[in-house]
Amino acid sequence: MSLRTKPRHRYLALKIESNKTFDKRTLLNKIWNSLTRLYGEYGASKANLVLIDYKPEEGFAILRCNNNGILMVRAAIAIITQIMEAQVAIHVLAISGTIKALRRKLSQTQNV
Amino acid sequence: MKRKFVDLNLQLPIHDLDKTRKMLEKAHELGYDLVAANLSPDTDDGTITYIKKLCASIGIDFATRVELIPKTRHELLGHLRRLRRKFEVVSVTCVSKVVARQAAKDRRVDLLFFPRLDSRKRFFDSQEAELASNALASLEIRIKPLLLSNGVQRTRLLSYLRKEAVVALNYGVPIVISSEASETWHMRKPRELAVLATLFDLDFPTGLDAVSKFPLSTVKRNREKLKSNFIAPGIRLVKRGKNCH
Repeated sequence: MSLRTKPRHRYLALKIESNKTFDKRTLLNKIWNSLTRLYGEYGASKANLVLIDYKPEEGFAILRCNNNGILMVRAAIAIITQIMEAQVAIHVLAISGTIKALRRKLSQTQNV
Repeated sequence: MKRKFVDLNLQLPIHDLDKTRKMLEKAHELGYDLVAANLSPDTDDGTITYIKKLCASIGIDFATRVELIPKTRHELLGHLRRLRRKFEVVSVTCVSKVVARQAAKDRRVDLLFFPRLDSRKRFFDSQEAELASNALASLEIRIKPLLLSNGVQRTRLLSYLRKEAVVALNYGVPIVISSEASETWHMRKPRELAVLATLFDLDFPTGLDAVSKFPLSTVKRNREKLKSNFIAPGIRLVKRGKNCH
């Protein structure tokens, strides 16, 4: 029996609701800050967070994180209420193991 | 079977019908099947009917809820006598130990809420939990204070919630998670509320039950009780008149 050493990823599609738009760095910093405040630097380091895609005008983003840290990342995202003093609510639209499956899921939900 | 999700505490601004509609539409969009709005005890039937119709047009079920904040045991009993049959969900905010104990043992109370951020004024201990489990009351945990606090305040709140959640689970007291949202910014998807419950050490499936199974059973039980043919749990009046043999 071989041990699986390659980390499993999860891709999250996010809907960012706000009256303002933010650049990529501001959004990612906010999520990192939230993650660090909730779980500390040690906990946040396990999440392995990467922003894959971001469309500020549409309020849409795709994040990648470690499968083990998925609950931490979701909690850190859900608890965000403000970015740069603007009211914000970030909702997870879909979660998947591959980016291809995530896009398929998203297109299915849009067709319904 | 698909889970039905419930938010038992929406703070609808019923004087502002446009905003009320927006919040209800948002709740539907986020995936809720049933919402309960906190209404004042003297809300007239016309307003309740209007909100119910509005919810029906949006495609969401609506339950009436009242929040009691009594200072004494007698005040609580008076409120319950007057309001229990008018509202589908009754929540009691426990501001003193006497009120907390009476609310926990009274079968007319559905939800117990502990608001104070002071360990000596949070009364959900093992005795309270034992009384609540016998009376079928649930522990209500609101997410809005968690969203709006930060730093030490949030840390303390999480610490209290963690202790209370353990006591509730040990005594079989259902935990109900509600948003207490007064604006759409504070509304979160049911699964997001369940994820936030992991912050006070509930596992994700228990968190999901806290936004679906437990609140739904509370509303179902109360709706059954409020029907005119209800006599006692399991006993219903099926026929009335002279020819009942």
